[in-house]
Amino acid sequence: MPTTVCTAKASCKKLPGLLELTDTHLQWTQDGKKVPSIRVPYADAASLFCSKEGAPQVKLKLSLVGDSTGHNFTFISDKPVALVDCEKFKQELTTIISRNKSVPLPLSRTPAPPINASTLPISVSSTPSASTPRPAQTPSRTSVSRAPSVSGDRRSTPVITGNDPASDFRLRKKVLMSNPELGALHKELVMTGQITEAEFWDGREHLILAQAASEGQKKGKPGQLVDPRPEAVEGGEIKIRITPQLVHDIFDEYPIVAKAYSENVPNKLSEEHFWKRYFQSKLFNAHRASIRSSAAQHVVKDDPIFDKYLERDDDELEPRRPRNEQVEAFVDLAATLEDHDDTGNEKDVTMRAGRQKAALPLIRKFNEHSERLLNSALGEIPPAKRRRLDPGEDAYSQIDIDDLHDPEASAGIVLEMQDRQRYFEGRMSNVKQDSSEPRLDPSVLLEETRSGLANWESRLSQLKIERKPGDSALLAMTQNVANRLDVKSKKSEIPDGLFRQMTSCQTAANEFLRQFWLATYPPAGDIPTVALATPAQRAAKAAKMISYISKTPEKVHALVQVAQQHGIDPNRVETAMKPVLQACERALTFHKNKKPTKP
Amino acid sequence: MKFYIDNLPIIFPYDRIYPEQYAYMCDLKRTLDATGHCVLEMPSGTGKTVSLLSLIVSYQQYFPTKRKLIYCSRTVPEIEKALTELKRLMEYRIECAETEEEKEKERNFTGLGLTSRKNLCINPEVAKEKKGKVVDARCRDLTNSAACEKGRANPGLVPLCDWHENLGKMEPGHLMPPGIWTLADVLQYGREKTICPYFAVRRMMPFVDVIIYSFHYLLDPKVAEQVSKEMSKDAIVVFDEAHNIDNVCIESLSIDLTRPMLDAAGRSVTKLSEKIEEIKTTDVAKLQDEYAKLVEGLQENISDENDTDAFMGNPVLPNDLLNEAIPGNIRKAEHFVAFLKRFVEYIKTRMRVLHVVAETPLSFLQHLKDITYIERRPLRFCAERLQSLIRTLELSRLDEYSSLQKVASFATLVATYEKGFLLILEPFETDNATVPNPVFHFTCLDPSLAIKPVFERFSSVVITSGTISPLDMYPKMLQFTPVVQETYAMTLTRNAFLPLVITRGSDQVAISSRFEVRNDPAVVRNFGSILIEYSKIVPDGIVAFFPSYLYMESIVAAWNDMGILNEVWKHKLIFVETPDANETSIALENYRRACDNGRGAVLLSVARGKVSEGIDFDHNYGRAVIMFGVPYQYTESRILKARLEYLRDAYRIRESEFLGFDAMRNAAQCVGRVLRGKTDWGLMIFADKRFARADKRAKLPRWINQYITETAANLSTDMAITLSKLFMRTISQNPNENQTGVSLWTLEDIEKAQAKQREVALHAEKEPQPDADEYGDGGFSDSALMDFDLDV
Repeated sequence: MPTTVCTAKASCKKLPGLLELTDTHLQWTQDGKKVPSIRVPYADAASLFCSKEGAPQVKLKLSLVGDSTGHNFTFISDKPVALVDCEKFKQELTTIISRNKSVPLPLSRTPAPPINASTLPISVSSTPSASTPRPAQTPSRTSVSRAPSVSGDRRSTPVITGNDPASDFRLRKKVLMSNPELGALHKELVMTGQITEAEFWDGREHLILAQAASEGQKKGKPGQLVDPRPEAVEGGEIKIRITPQLVHDIFDEYPIVAKAYSENVPNKLSEEHFWKRYFQSKLFNAHRASIRSSAAQHVVKDDPIFDKYLERDDDELEPRRPRNEQVEAFVDLAATLEDHDDTGNEKDVTMRAGRQKAALPLIRKFNEHSERLLNSALGEIPPAKRRRLDPGEDAYSQIDIDDLHDPEASAGIVLEMQDRQRYFEGRMSNVKQDSSEPRLDPSVLLEETRSGLANWESRLSQLKIERKPGDSALLAMTQNVANRLDVKSKKSEIPDGLFRQMTSCQTAANEFLRQFWLATYPPAGDIPTVALATPAQRAAKAAKMISYISKTPEKVHALVQVAQQHGIDPNRVETAMKPVLQACERALTFHKNKKPTKP
Repeated sequence: MKFYIDNLPIIFPYDRIYPEQYAYMCDLKRTLDATGHCVLEMPSGTGKTVSLLSLIVSYQQYFPTKRKLIYCSRTVPEIEKALTELKRLMEYRIECAETEEEKEKERNFTGLGLTSRKNLCINPEVAKEKKGKVVDARCRDLTNSAACEKGRANPGLVPLCDWHENLGKMEPGHLMPPGIWTLADVLQYGREKTICPYFAVRRMMPFVDVIIYSFHYLLDPKVAEQVSKEMSKDAIVVFDEAHNIDNVCIESLSIDLTRPMLDAAGRSVTKLSEKIEEIKTTDVAKLQDEYAKLVEGLQENISDENDTDAFMGNPVLPNDLLNEAIPGNIRKAEHFVAFLKRFVEYIKTRMRVLHVVAETPLSFLQHLKDITYIERRPLRFCAERLQSLIRTLELSRLDEYSSLQKVASFATLVATYEKGFLLILEPFETDNATVPNPVFHFTCLDPSLAIKPVFERFSSVVITSGTISPLDMYPKMLQFTPVVQETYAMTLTRNAFLPLVITRGSDQVAISSRFEVRNDPAVVRNFGSILIEYSKIVPDGIVAFFPSYLYMESIVAAWNDMGILNEVWKHKLIFVETPDANETSIALENYRRACDNGRGAVLLSVARGKVSEGIDFDHNYGRAVIMFGVPYQYTESRILKARLEYLRDAYRIRESEFLGFDAMRNAAQCVGRVLRGKTDWGLMIFADKRFARADKRAKLPRWINQYITETAANLSTDMAITLSKLFMRTISQNPNENQTGVSLWTLEDIEKAQAKQREVALHAEKEPQPDADEYGDGGFSDSALMDFDLDV
């Protein structure tokens, strides 16, 4: 098992247990159980909350990426111990989280909104709280930290790592940090100088490529509606925290606010005042994505400045801004509506669209918001042009049933070859030769078959299946099942330290083996790597690796002895390490046999 | 591929065929041979339209009689799709034809689609109008024979439509080259040649082999009279997507009058009388001429001769038209106007009543006679007489008279029909409304009335859809005897779709859209969590249907306030159906973009709504369809109540049976749109505890019902999610197993099936033989051994 960074007694969901921080995971094991019931990989930790000092209980909350509820732990040791424990976890986790956060940075945060960042954030409440705003990764920082080679154009062309040492180094670092197990291996082998950096990465280029690709990927806008929800503060006051991102989103979502901003700030209103009044205005309430806001209408004050910008509610049957673009024929609903005079009785109350007037602006907002998000990602092209640009979507393809086509019926590619004439002539002559062979006489064949089939009934009745092989097969299967059951029911009792040593021995040996075989049989791929090295270099490397590999049996032996000291059956350790030893053996013999041929 | 059914050569535009398509074509052929009617239910997405067209076109081209095909569909997108399908089929047939002579025969095969002026007009002045009625009226002003006569005699005096004029110069029957023309093609051709697409199609109709238009053009007597009169009796009529055909039938004979309509009608009457006074001073001869004609009973039907003049069809079915002279008391123009005025005033008075009235047409007529002395006979001629008057006065902008036309139609209908109709006056929109907003419904209760002329006139009528279960309901409601009545199962080598019935949330609270509980926060939240969970796990598009607009609009608002939609936004974009059709189309287009792009989206819409008909959600456009609640009709509706009562009394169809049938056909219709082809896949989620009941499920089409397993029929949300994940993991694998021979037939498979069929037929004649070659020994099968899980 991996090393434990720190441990503490803590309860989760009111069940006592042990909280551990290993070098890869945060895990919690309920008392009396062997297997941790909660196991959070480092990469999943998103944010951390701690109870305040002096709180009756010392608590820690960890929320995860994609799951904000996360896990709650309460330290259940005596108060002073608990506090120390908590502090320890806090420190460790904070570094992990900050590392996590710095990895997947959104590439294109649009430039900061046109406001002086220093004046922000303002809390719109009469009690300016001391809480510092989230210093969300500001755009400037992102762009600085990114080497120019990674951005933009890097996406389209395949990245050849090693062109730019600086960015290459940075990428490697990120890969190692996001993958603790690989990091450990790197630490053990490269930092100790057993193998070089280049050797280590040789054959692992795909990791760096993937990292570069994921960084180069443009992250779209998040889908949620801009809906600044006020937080309640004691004293019945509400507070809305403004970040540059929020301001930008508001301007983007509601151009009318941007207009109001440019017309009023800073001449008529100060920045702070502007937002304060906006969040109290009818305009803001109209923008809130809620139908309850209409109930809050009377709470909201009249505001001479903002009320000017109020628009009529978009709750008529026809939209406020009629859209006249032509839609594709296969989804044109209006055409059906106009296909014939409306006949019949009107629809019953429940089937008349748009009767819930309050919901209509909301529904329209959803459609507009979705369209805006789509356009921000795909570019705003008028639909008619879009259809022209997209030749794949012709009318036939939309009605086609593709599995009714014969997949083999395609025309195929004509094979171009030299001297086709001669080839066929040659074949023709072959055929002629074949035909000159003695022909088979069907009557003779029939006779032979018939004689072969004579007495089949009696022979069949004589057929006896030996009992023994069947029994033994069944026995073997039963044995197999029993063995598996046996293995599963046995618990691993190898102590942590030893287990870790075994793992590290095994991974190191694997790495050496990998390097060795790589040097012996350079990959035929087109990745420019050590493959370019001269045969002499490769031989040298192979020799070096062999020297490491040859030490492996000693190490294993040492491990077996340690196991004996711990009072564990050494056979088990041996069995576990056997595949590694065999692999080493094979490499060594291969190397030995190969030696004499090469001078 | 080309194969034979009996001796008929069939050209099918694919290399393979589904067994159900083959069976469908065989049954269709039987119907055509027997010149009878049929009801066929074919699983959605298995290429119903292409099989249908392929067989019928083969039939038309093989036999010298050349029966015309009238193909009716529900919506314009479906019409356009059918036309595209036909176009591709003909291209394939031309390719397959062996001799030049045959190729020429295929090239001369002509097919057209018809829709309204609004959809086909390319005169920029007229086409910019938003309302179809206005387009119609303005078009008539530019194209009617009187205007044309004047304009041609004196160029520049009256504005005419160039596109229509150019058409007039062409040779009738050759307005368009032979071939298949989709609506888009016709528009394009019209623009290139500067001819009017609408009239080009109308005037080409007698010469084409296939005409595709909507149900209304055949069922609504007002339109059918103008458009479909000349169709020959041996034509093959197909109603595709016919699961709602009874509603179209009922709609085409029902009419509503409201207060604003009566006010507008009153104003039109005043205008008419002013116009008459004016004509009296300028051109008395005209009125006298009309009167003389009416006396002689010579009200010739102008629409027979000139399609540009017809503006208002008689709302009565052809059999019920009276072939006699218009009664004397409304022959004089001013008498007729006074008559109309009295009638409008009478209805206005009736509308002042503040309680609900339901009465038969007979009792209405009796009361009318008692109060106003208006007799039934002149009332029957109301629509016809108004038509004649408007034509005589040469009125323009007829859209302004539309309310009056409606009142006249109402008068004619109410005076013509006694049985199967009801008048309902509702003074308030809802039960708890306080401001009266009266509506006078004249409602048809019997769907068989409107379709009767079609069955009588045409020898072969095909009623088909993906969801038309239970099959015997339709012959019962529409009063006809089918010669073939068939439903086809879906043959699948792997389950391409997974129907799941979710009856309770993860918290075990039962979910239902039943009126009493539908707004219960627990139910709303559980519905919401279904959407959240599915938006997390399903790739690309999810479509969710609600039982009504009212419910969708209120639940969307509630979900937003509960923060449920915020969760959905994290995974998918959200699009919602709105009251405006064009706005919804744009949302739909964006929804499809989001699905293509991989962002993924959720579309919230309404069963029986605009989106639920005619839009396909195949492949990535719909990986899951969620049906929130059972789409029952609003049972408090008085019209529905009257209809249920009528069905019970006249056809012995129980109320609950009809309601259940109606709800399930709509649910199946929504859910059935996820598939096209057998490699496509999708989830079908029925979220309501009532779907678990056996009687409900029995009303689903067999091809869906057969795949609902016992375990999948009663799930909680978390169980359903687990099953769905499992399904998606398996279905996303490469379908490498060979479907051919089982769910996909090659030509050899067809021949094998046909040989087998012949054998069976032969066999049936001989004595039955015992199955000799059966190897049953009762041992374990191979698959049972393979499934044995060693991993303990």
